[in-house]
Amino acid sequence: MKEKALQVLVVEDNAGDARLLREMFSKEKPGSFELTHLLRMSEAVIHLEKGGVDIVLLDMGLPDGHGLDTVRRAHAAAPGVPVIVLTGLDDEALAAEAMKEGAQDYLIKGQIENRALPRALRDAIERHRMQTETDLIRTDQMKFQDEFLSHVSHELRSPLTAIYQFVTILLDKLAGELNLEQHEYLQIVLRNVKQLQSMINDLLEVTRVQAGKLSIELQCTSVSDAIAYTVNTLQGAATAKGITLSADMDCQLPLVNADPTRVQQILIVLVDNAIKFTPAGGLVKVLARVSEEDPGFLLVEVSDTGCGISPDMTERIFEHLYQITDPGQAGRKGLGLGLYISKELVTRQGGKIWVSSEPQKGSHFIFTVPIFSLASWIGPIFMHEKKDGDAIALLVVEMGTRDGWLSPDVRKEMSHLARRLLQQCLRPDTDVLLPNMDSVNVRELFFAVVYTQEHGAEVISKRIQRQFRQCEQLQPADFTLDVSHSFLAPVSRVKSESMETFIGHVATGIQERINTITLQRSI
Amino acid sequence: MSQKTILIVDDDPDVRLGLHVRLKANHYNVIFAPDGMASIAEARKHIPDLIILDLGLPAGDGFSVMERLKANDSLSLIPVIVVSARDREANMDRALKAGAKAFLQKPVANAELLAVIRKVLGEPCLPEKAVVHDLGSL
Repeated sequence: MKEKALQVLVVEDNAGDARLLREMFSKEKPGSFELTHLLRMSEAVIHLEKGGVDIVLLDMGLPDGHGLDTVRRAHAAAPGVPVIVLTGLDDEALAAEAMKEGAQDYLIKGQIENRALPRALRDAIERHRMQTETDLIRTDQMKFQDEFLSHVSHELRSPLTAIYQFVTILLDKLAGELNLEQHEYLQIVLRNVKQLQSMINDLLEVTRVQAGKLSIELQCTSVSDAIAYTVNTLQGAATAKGITLSADMDCQLPLVNADPTRVQQILIVLVDNAIKFTPAGGLVKVLARVSEEDPGFLLVEVSDTGCGISPDMTERIFEHLYQITDPGQAGRKGLGLGLYISKELVTRQGGKIWVSSEPQKGSHFIFTVPIFSLASWIGPIFMHEKKDGDAIALLVVEMGTRDGWLSPDVRKEMSHLARRLLQQCLRPDTDVLLPNMDSVNVRELFFAVVYTQEHGAEVISKRIQRQFRQCEQLQPADFTLDVSHSFLAPVSRVKSESMETFIGHVATGIQERINTITLQRSI
Repeated sequence: MSQKTILIVDDDPDVRLGLHVRLKANHYNVIFAPDGMASIAEARKHIPDLIILDLGLPAGDGFSVMERLKANDSLSLIPVIVVSARDREANMDRALKAGAKAFLQKPVANAELLAVIRKVLGEPCLPEKAVVHDLGSL
């Protein structure tokens, strides 16, 4: 069978170099290579986009393209086609960079031997084919692993549900009286059910991490609340092991920009670990303070008087599936996913996590969370192009029931829904939905900063009212909605002061307005 | 006060029995359906006050059951609570949009399940008489 000629695209503006390359190919068997020679990157891109090219020989110094940029453009035009770069003797460093960008190989001009070039081309194509195949297999494997994990986790939940149901039926004496021993043993079963459930949740969470689907909803929230909740939840486990669990916080702790349930999740992992690795009579302490090195961050520390971690392990414990090697230490190991997930959660919220430890003395796990700043939250809208008539307005949306009372569950649901509706009413880039900063909890308050022309705020107010009226789930008989707006500052003020000062003024204005409203509500 | 009737739709017989015992102890009248098709038939026959619905079901999954309930005048007003082993993140929004009053992840803690049932039925939130073993927040 006659082999198809390899389509080679040579992109080279130097006529001499191009002629040399052509000569090298002329010695090959006729019909084995077919050369196309182009002088410009722009022409090469058009040619590559048409398809049919098997390999590119690319000069990195073209009149309309230079260095790594040429490699990137070639890849963008034809992602599946291998590229060999041609470079001068003094440019080997650049060639190495090109390889990092995805070039298959490089050839140094003036050092190319006649017979070597065609072979280099064939090798490059073969290498490229193998690489593509391996990548494909890896992606498939990852996808399979994700789907498998997710499937297994769900399948495990069903039998676990039945076990939980019947253990609690027995414990609640719905099937008759129990003696003390039976009661104690069933409690052990229940404890293990909970352990199994948290492992299944971890497994699913890891699948989400690896698929990049971990959901994080940043808002203005309190770390103190998360710490109090954690200490409360795990106090029982600590007492049962004879460990003192306590929290120590500044009373004036600033609010943070984070996802409250995620912060809680991280704290639960850290405190739970601390209890696990600390012997009876030990101490576990949770501290929070503003970071001294970086005042933009809050520092949260969980320290214990447990077995500690050897120095060479302080990085590895945050790795995927890492487990301590001495199983005697923690009783039961678990899946070793808690710290890995925590690191991911901390990082995704803009913080860092690390541990300092001394074996046999204890460990200090520390993570940081960005402190909430109104100015940085509203900052991005000021990057938008401004017109003279523009102004910053604050829209206030208040909702609730006529008697002002909502159960926490209903409030959470409504709040979620209302924020989603509100987001739909605002324009991207020019409007900002502020996090829910209502600390009074009498009614839900939502604030939106609007960057608007003349009557823009009124228009958006009307749009919000319409959108909320149309929403079926927000139609209980006693539901109330108020939308009001106030102008904060004309954009023309930016001209007389720096952007930073202007944003600062606006942020202060918003804060004052919110304080007034929440104060009125609380009376 | 007359007992409220709850229809449990789940293909796992153990889960059905477990729910039965728990709900009966809390003075509800309980009926069952093991699949999507049977659930509509049972709902028509008894017009329950509430439906506890699994998502993964033979003969019409939970979503199609909700669709069919909605399309039927006499059934469209029966409140539905979805109790499923499927992932909350991927299914909660869809379930609520389909008309469910709440989405609960299996295994659901007894206290939570009973509280949601009472809320949906518009009953006062009484403290549980028997001890309820919570799954906690983990």
